[in-house]
Amino acid sequence: MKRFLYQLLIIATLFAGNAVAQTSTWVITNGCWLKVDGSTNINIFSCAIANYSKPDTIVINRNFTPVQLSGSMQLDVQNFDCHNPVMTADLRKTLKSKQFPRLIIRFQTLNNYPDHAHRQGIIKGYVTIELAGVSKRYEVDYKVVAAEATYINLEGSRKVNFSDFNLEPPRKLGGMIRTNNELSVVFNLRIKVI
Amino acid sequence: MKKILKSGLIAGIVLSVVSYGGLYLTINFFPSLFVEYNNPLFNSDGSRDVLFYMHAFIISFALSWFWERFKSLFHGPFLLRGLEFGSVYALVALLPVMWITFSSLDITVLIVLSWFLYGLFQAVLAGIIFAKINP
Repeated sequence: MKRFLYQLLIIATLFAGNAVAQTSTWVITNGCWLKVDGSTNINIFSCAIANYSKPDTIVINRNFTPVQLSGSMQLDVQNFDCHNPVMTADLRKTLKSKQFPRLIIRFQTLNNYPDHAHRQGIIKGYVTIELAGVSKRYEVDYKVVAAEATYINLEGSRKVNFSDFNLEPPRKLGGMIRTNNELSVVFNLRIKVI
Repeated sequence: MKKILKSGLIAGIVLSVVSYGGLYLTINFFPSLFVEYNNPLFNSDGSRDVLFYMHAFIISFALSWFWERFKSLFHGPFLLRGLEFGSVYALVALLPVMWITFSSLDITVLIVLSWFLYGLFQAVLAGIIFAKINP
């Protein structure tokens, strides 16, 4: 019995060691950005939060399939820039930036760990996007822009709707000028692997 | 009073069709002119749509009263009377309002000018209708 317990302890230790080895940390570095493209019945618009520079971390657990992620990116809605002051102000108002100043992307899973093998393909993963006080889970397509041993550049994209977050697409002049419900969200992550 | 209401109602219906129809067509054919309306100054949640679409009747009833009160001052054929009536309204009421609007709100000259011309057009059209049905 004693010998059996001893063997069990050794096996458990080996497995635990393996699990530790499969966990790593990503640091979100300077130069990340998020872009939102949308349209109205009279024009198209593209608004971005450029140069996201908060050094958030994401913990990666590769023991599971899909790969488990734990961490988030918190963006200031006030930093959206639509390259047109009135449109910028209008988007911030639509997103209720005063009431809900943060857009949070919580990273949850990745189908595969991004490395050289996936450079040409798409990796799918799940995130939760919190906007205007509403959280919604989405499957995101990631493109591996660059992947090295200590550095990864990922570009995630997803279509979302204003209505997903209980937001009304803006409408002006009695509805004669209407913003379409659908938005295309693209975010770029520059990651340092620790 | 009955004349004022009847003229105002008829002008309101005509102005609704012409003004909102014209606006709809202009937005569709010249969308770039309306990009500036993507501005938080303009109501965007639809809560005032009814008020927006009532405007044609508000201006029609107001102008109908104005016409009844001062129509004796406008002479000549009905088209000329309508044109003069609309021009008087634009000069006395619209121009000062547009002036203070442009000076105090963050909007472009193009928007203010389009509002002035839109109001002038509405008043001239209403004047022609009044001159025809309530000479």
